[in-house]
Amino acid sequence: MRRSAFAVVALAALAAGAASAAAAEFPDGDARRGAYLARLAGCIGCHTDAAAGGAPLAGGAAIETRFGTFRPPNITQHAEDGIGGWSIADFAQAVRQGLAPDGSPYYPAFPYPSYAAFSDQDIADLYAAFRTVPAAAGGRQGNDLSFPWSVRQGLHLWRALHLDAAPPPQDPARSEAWNRGAWIVEGPGHCGACHTPRGLLGGQDAEDALTGSSDGPGGGPGGGKVPAITAAALAEKGWTADSLATALQTGLGRSGDAFGGGMGEVVRHSTAWLTPADRAAVAAYLLEP
Amino acid sequence: MTRTTLAALALAAVLLPAAAVAHSGATGVVKERMALMKEMGDGMKRLSAMLHGEAPYDAAAVRKEAEAIAAHGGEAMLKGFPPGSLDHPTEALPVIWSEPERFRALAEEVTRHAEALAAAADHPDAGKAMAGHPHTPDMDAAMGNPSMHAMMGGAPSMHQMMGGDASAAPAPTAATPQAAFMQLTHTCGACHDTYRAKTH
Repeated sequence: MRRSAFAVVALAALAAGAASAAAAEFPDGDARRGAYLARLAGCIGCHTDAAAGGAPLAGGAAIETRFGTFRPPNITQHAEDGIGGWSIADFAQAVRQGLAPDGSPYYPAFPYPSYAAFSDQDIADLYAAFRTVPAAAGGRQGNDLSFPWSVRQGLHLWRALHLDAAPPPQDPARSEAWNRGAWIVEGPGHCGACHTPRGLLGGQDAEDALTGSSDGPGGGPGGGKVPAITAAALAEKGWTADSLATALQTGLGRSGDAFGGGMGEVVRHSTAWLTPADRAAVAAYLLEP
Repeated sequence: MTRTTLAALALAAVLLPAAAVAHSGATGVVKERMALMKEMGDGMKRLSAMLHGEAPYDAAAVRKEAEAIAAHGGEAMLKGFPPGSLDHPTEALPVIWSEPERFRALAEEVTRHAEALAAAADHPDAGKAMAGHPHTPDMDAAMGNPSMHAMMGGAPSMHQMMGGDASAAPAPTAATPQAAFMQLTHTCGACHDTYRAKTH
């Protein structure tokens, strides 16, 4: 074999070895469990343009914000337009650290700080589930952000200032339901992404958690009001554990009015797909301060 | 707005039901459609109570409520949204009139799902708690690949629920009234997500 060919083969073997070594760090994934986690994490809702009849996970409808327009990209198995070429290590880095395979940072419109709560098993399961998604083209228009948000490098500064990937609270003195609810709400359910206000730079303060915001998707150009879902706010409106758990399945508020403003989509594509126990867990956590 | 007015409004918002505050000052077609929506919401509230075990299940009552809601969908609903009817205090968004096909499809889905609910009122499993989304098997149950497809976004009913291609949509596959009710509430939410301003 010629020396250059040998070098190429040797390098390829090294690379393959490195990739499989990285893959070996993750346990075997269960695709069905991963699909459930994908529903819980809201992947389908954001990354599918259901209203336009888009293929599953082939890119979501535009999200208008005060920073500009975000377009959730294609995350099907398409090799060019999607994530078909990603290793499990790439997937883990993207989901938990908000970094693309080339190391460039994602905008936190992708709620990766909340996804840092995923365990290696969760990541393995999610990866297995995503491997089943049929390849579809498109969904690569990219974002349309105003200056200075358009400068992606600025995100390194933003991460230094605002990145808070604190793990969800877990308290052995509390019920299993409360702890499960805490993991869902503060972790992959990423409720605070909408329900916690954002400062000038889009950062969030732990003290303001779940107190509502005016940056919601449901208000037309001016931004919509997102209600507070702290225990006090929920109690004041008369929510009970039962009515809250039911609302997360039906999207119906206590007056019979159906949630809109973006929460309808959350119910339709995420919380309606959860087990009744998980919805009850979310209610238990939200109602107990 | 003066602080006094703001304070008075804030007080009113706390003391009065949200709908009363939202509707006050409405006239003409805006007022009529707000009243139609309120009626539908009241019916949904009564249905929800029966379907989730908070009130005794009564198949005849479920049928009656569902038929009333079905009558409020489709053309009856569309009539309430003539072009440009954006007078205060409407919460309707201008995008309604730039996406007329989808708006119509969702209005028609209200009727379709409400009629399915009426038809399912006598189901033997009526009133029993639903294990989950009609297209999500219980996590413990062993299911094959089709459910993976549905879980990862490929369920035809999701496409249908979003009015993506209502003309080709299969009939709702809901068997129990709870499942039909959920598809109905999700249709309401689909419209409210896009076409109603979240202002309070």
